[in-house]
Amino acid sequence: MATPEVIAEQEALKGLNADYTERYGFHDAENYLFKAPKGLTRELVAKISEFKNEPQWMLEFRLKAYDYFMAREMPTWGSPMLAEVDFDDIHYFVRASDRSERSWDDVPEDVKKTFDRLGIPEAERKFLAGVGAQYESESVYHQVNEALEAQGVIFMDMDTALREHEDLVKEHFATIIPPNDNKLAALNSAVWSGGSFVYVPPGVQVEMPLQAYFRINTENMGQFERTIIIADEGSYVHYVEGCTAPTYSSDSLHSAVVELIAKPGARIRYTTVQNWSNNVFNLVTKRAVAETDATVEWVDCNLGSKLTMKYPSVYLMGERAHGEILSIAFAGNGQHQDAGGKIVHVAPNTTSNIFAKSISKDGGRSSYRGLLEVGKGAHGSKSKVVCDALLLDETSRSDTYPTIRIGEDDVNVGHEATVSKVGDEQMFYLQSHGISEEEAGKLIVNGFIEPIVKELPMEYAVEMNRLIELQMEGSIG
Amino acid sequence: MASWQELALPDHKGTPGWEFTELKNFDFASFQTATVGDLAAADQAELVFDLPADGVRLTQVDHAYHPVEEATSEGPLIMSLSQAVESHGDLVDKHLGSLIESSENVFTARNAAEWAGGAFVYVPRGVKVEAPIVLTAVQAQEGSALNWRVLVVLEEGAEAEVWEQYASTAPGLFTTVVELVVGENANLRFVTAQGLDEQSQIYGTQRAHVARDGKLDWVVLGFGAGYGKVFQNTILDGEGAEGKVTGAYALNGRQHLDFDTTQEHAAAHCNSDLAFRGILAGRSSAVWRGMIKVDEGAQETDAFQESRNLLISKKAHADAIPGLEILANDVRCTHAAAIAQIDPDQLFYLRARGLPLEQASRLVIEGFLAELVERFEEGPVRDALAGALERRLATVLG
Repeated sequence: MATPEVIAEQEALKGLNADYTERYGFHDAENYLFKAPKGLTRELVAKISEFKNEPQWMLEFRLKAYDYFMAREMPTWGSPMLAEVDFDDIHYFVRASDRSERSWDDVPEDVKKTFDRLGIPEAERKFLAGVGAQYESESVYHQVNEALEAQGVIFMDMDTALREHEDLVKEHFATIIPPNDNKLAALNSAVWSGGSFVYVPPGVQVEMPLQAYFRINTENMGQFERTIIIADEGSYVHYVEGCTAPTYSSDSLHSAVVELIAKPGARIRYTTVQNWSNNVFNLVTKRAVAETDATVEWVDCNLGSKLTMKYPSVYLMGERAHGEILSIAFAGNGQHQDAGGKIVHVAPNTTSNIFAKSISKDGGRSSYRGLLEVGKGAHGSKSKVVCDALLLDETSRSDTYPTIRIGEDDVNVGHEATVSKVGDEQMFYLQSHGISEEEAGKLIVNGFIEPIVKELPMEYAVEMNRLIELQMEGSIG
Repeated sequence: MASWQELALPDHKGTPGWEFTELKNFDFASFQTATVGDLAAADQAELVFDLPADGVRLTQVDHAYHPVEEATSEGPLIMSLSQAVESHGDLVDKHLGSLIESSENVFTARNAAEWAGGAFVYVPRGVKVEAPIVLTAVQAQEGSALNWRVLVVLEEGAEAEVWEQYASTAPGLFTTVVELVVGENANLRFVTAQGLDEQSQIYGTQRAHVARDGKLDWVVLGFGAGYGKVFQNTILDGEGAEGKVTGAYALNGRQHLDFDTTQEHAAAHCNSDLAFRGILAGRSSAVWRGMIKVDEGAQETDAFQESRNLLISKKAHADAIPGLEILANDVRCTHAAAIAQIDPDQLFYLRARGLPLEQASRLVIEGFLAELVERFEEGPVRDALAGALERRLATVLG
């Protein structure tokens, strides 16, 4: 199977996720129509709002958030890498439609080959490479949008939604994550741009997962995305963010805010596959509320970035609501994945699960950080948290920091975590059946994350397995 | 070095370990340092466990103590720490403060500055102390600060069993600093039982250092005090070291206790095993924070920790914060935490067989604690532990 072609390909893919700038070296062409100077000022925040022709209330919201951002200290917990974030060395606004100046021909062969290997459809490859203009012409996505519109589903980028559905946006904007929630949420609130707005009317079941690149507009992969998803009573929607393929970004800081509202009986599933290039600080606030009988599920896979700090949370506000967090983190050389989740049981008879799997290799560090809280009055609540970690070599690190707070007697919660290495016995068993050491390692890792991968949409699951194989290549032996 | 009066109280916001134990309206200096008390008061205090008949006993009331000295040229030294400073200064100097620096926090600082009496147990190389050594500290002066200090040193291959208990006849503030130095191939069992007045406060730091092939079997009981936080750390610092920690707390009323345990694996091939069980009644609350730390190079570590809480009232509150920090890869580390009520299925089963509700609940709770007792082989420790838990349960359940 090791034909010269395959070897060449493996050679090309080695160190996938290691320093994109050097290896692939493609950058945005410096011909922006509007690009703010580095650093954040009150004037810049006002300018962003003016530039987007926003209503007065949004301008005021941004300015207030700016004050919160300036007043707050950087968090002292999490990762020591946080200290490396330099807020003065960041462009806070680049007009999004001017981002996508690349053409497909500019995308390096290596990246194209990676897409090939992962089996990513051509249209999506172009999207991922930032070739947005061509992307808009893909008619298949027009049809998707027409079908959604017929059901009354609103799915557009946040800037457009603010223009076309101002009342709906205003009603829900920042109701789940207030601008002063934390320093990075405050930053996002001040300078947000892009992101998705989704509204699903009562009873509507959106059969096909919604993906950001279905949207016709190009404001897709902003640095400070703002997303709101509202699933009205009894509706269902699955939103998929990101992709298994490496996502090149020249921005050093990504700080999104995502708010989900599941009305009574609704179900929202939000799947993230984060694979930013290794120069990115990915500091994201994601929170959901689930009303009576509603279900919210976060499927959160973190593979890329230099540092990710992200803890999607679910507040179970209505009786019998259910929250679920499935998390995979893979930390390679130089990476710290500080991921996990939070569940807060507010109403009685609510249930939740957190399943987290993390893998550390080549000196990487992965941490599970979680909160499980059962408030007074949330009687009859049940929750289970299980975290497993796999350490692939002696230079890597794994941490588990779960917090459990219980204020009710009539509850049943449990937490379990194990950390282990790839078992010698497992390796021996597989190798004694003629499987190479490298292949055996891949098999074991894929088996380890399988319970979560199987929850991904099928094509993503296939890509995820291939991606893990790519990440594993050369790591064992 | 700053005196304790100059050190700030830990702020529950942003001080790791203090998040859930806020020192609100707490005036540390208002607790006057205990003075020499009346040793006879020890008879009035309700003790945690039945004392074994034989063995050396050291009893202290407030800052009054017997300068007991049981020293022969080759035998163990068992005496008050104050006495040891006089008679065995070099030995004390070598170890006192070697594990816990006085500047660690405001409580260790005050303890270091003000301790009086205390206990010193020194077992020379290869010596086995057969009967348990029993240390008792009783607080009798209302509103005072009793600063209790213990230093246990086992030289290579030594063996001993030390039981300490805290009791009171009046509420006050109790600080405890305990250092356990377990030498190579030495074997220490240390039982610490806290049965202070339920209006008292306790702040403590207890730390054990276990050398190569050493063994520590540590039992921690928290029954008394109205408010408090105790750090309990085991450092396994030589290949083949073992640390076993067994903890139980049973709280009632408005009691709040915060246990902060670490199992640090500083060397390869060590084994640690920690289990805590808690019963929370009334409006009581408990915090258990546990950390397994595996240092770089500490391969073939086997570490386990679990904390299980049973909430037996609507107003009780429990926080469990297990943690793992692992910098080696060839390890097996597992932790588990659970908080639950009495299993209704078990209750139903027992009631279906004619047991009244109260008795059925009690059986389930006893079964829950029995798992802890069963960590010990049959013998005096197991009996004393079972007896102490049974008496405490009777108080908590009313």
